[in-house]
Amino acid sequence: MSEDPTGMPADAADGSLLHKPVDRRGALSIVLGGVAAGVQAVSACTPLSPATEEEKEVRILAWQEYIKGNYRFMTEAERAETIGRLERLAQVRHGADVTIQSTGAQPGVVFGYAFNISKCKGFRRCVEACINENNLDRNADTQYIRIFEMEDGVIDFDEADATYQHDVPAEGHFYLGTQCFQCADPPCVKVCPVGATWQEPDGITVIDYDWCIGCRYCMAACPYWARRFNWADPEVPAEEVNPNQHYLGNRARKQGCVEKCTFCVHRTRQGRLPACAEACPTGARVFGNLLDPDSEIRWVLAHKRVFRLKEDLKTEPRFWYFSD
Amino acid sequence: MTRFPARLAAVGLAATCLCSGCEALHPPRWERRENRTPVSGVDSAVPPPDSTREPGVLGTVEADPVDRWKGPGGRQFEVARRSAAPEAGHSRRFGSITLPIALRSRAAGLSQYPCSSCHLGRKLVMANQRITDAHNDIQPVHPEQTGAVCSTCHSAEDVQLLTLKSGERARMDDSYRLCAQCHFTQAETWAGGAHGKRLDGWQGRRVVMACTDCHDPHTPAVTPRIPFRAPQIQRSRGHDR
Repeated sequence: MSEDPTGMPADAADGSLLHKPVDRRGALSIVLGGVAAGVQAVSACTPLSPATEEEKEVRILAWQEYIKGNYRFMTEAERAETIGRLERLAQVRHGADVTIQSTGAQPGVVFGYAFNISKCKGFRRCVEACINENNLDRNADTQYIRIFEMEDGVIDFDEADATYQHDVPAEGHFYLGTQCFQCADPPCVKVCPVGATWQEPDGITVIDYDWCIGCRYCMAACPYWARRFNWADPEVPAEEVNPNQHYLGNRARKQGCVEKCTFCVHRTRQGRLPACAEACPTGARVFGNLLDPDSEIRWVLAHKRVFRLKEDLKTEPRFWYFSD
Repeated sequence: MTRFPARLAAVGLAATCLCSGCEALHPPRWERRENRTPVSGVDSAVPPPDSTREPGVLGTVEADPVDRWKGPGGRQFEVARRSAAPEAGHSRRFGSITLPIALRSRAAGLSQYPCSSCHLGRKLVMANQRITDAHNDIQPVHPEQTGAVCSTCHSAEDVQLLTLKSGERARMDDSYRLCAQCHFTQAETWAGGAHGKRLDGWQGRRVVMACTDCHDPHTPAVTPRIPFRAPQIQRSRGHDR
């Protein structure tokens, strides 16, 4: 049985564990009852325990969040409930009024990205926009995007410099940016033992931050070093929090979970460009729907000489590089 | 010498009234435009920007219906125009054009627009005026490289318009028509979507920046800048984990 802990890794590897959400939820509800009663008993007996209404509310919300299911298998009602809780928690804990979407993938859309290595000048405006847009941890200085400065004529990540800090573009160099490539056959998804990361119908690989156990297998599996780990609770000043959030995207993360670029799922599912593409001052970033033959990304793929990184691994990244 | 006070007054007027938008530091074009107050009321050909757009993004201006570039592949650009036999030669020359394109207004971002404020009668040449007097922010690198003079691109008869090799005139907003005369490969990739920058979103109407939104027409090359701060990663060479 998949409920048997000894059987978990084998079952979880192919995801069959997750096909029995009712059993799990049923069991967790029983646990919740016990835990809630225990918490109330403890808090009633502890003189120093905070007892304002707000603190009680937060404590209950936190417990309900703790035992909720995997987002992928939630009903619409359950998603609305957890989003309500998360918005309230963000308000209390971070002092930010946020709106968390649960927008699903648009039908007939698979996102693709193209990066013009002739145009990129290494200004890192995309990095700046990404940090602000995705509420990245200011304390640990998490960045999804790396811009590599490389010598003309050679693509060599061992010799490339990602920490350049001088006037750019530098003579005799070009710039190549990496981020999550939203692979069509993502190795990170395959290795997740708990099914906390999966690929959405529009091609974006997402993470349920609350389901992630922080084992970091996905980080080891990703050939592109696209994922980032939260060693501590991310810190974002309340006034800098981007309130436009998505459950699978830029909502508040917690210590011990993995995160990564989602092509700004909260923006792109509403027809907008990812923050990096919008911020790019050189127009090096092309984003669009791969299934739309009239899209710019398709024009690039049809008319430009494109390549992808580590194509021999057959991860099929949806992120192409091209030059003028 | 008798003209000097008048000239000085004209320059002073230009400096005080019109040059307030000239930044001393000259940030790059794409940043320069953000906080500009669009000029309105003088030239009715330039509609005011759409105030419903999100802040920070200048309003877009629909291309004048007259200005249509009949496109490659039988498609039509909103921004494009080809007066005679539109479909014929063009579809081959410019490759397959996909979607209608809308341009952001160039004129609304020009600090000294409309030109007729100084260029009374809209003539290009002003008596006894040197270009450095009122347009001292212009570094004519590109004209020097190509041997061009003002009237190569600017219409001598109407300074608010651009002039093409064919004798046609184009609006300031339609700089792509001027640039495409020489830079046709760039124009093709721009039309297709590989060059230039799309605004607003990947879905819906395709609003793009035209050539001079990014490239200073007189100094087109991108100048070096200081990048955003570097990541704090252990391994500076190659990928970090």
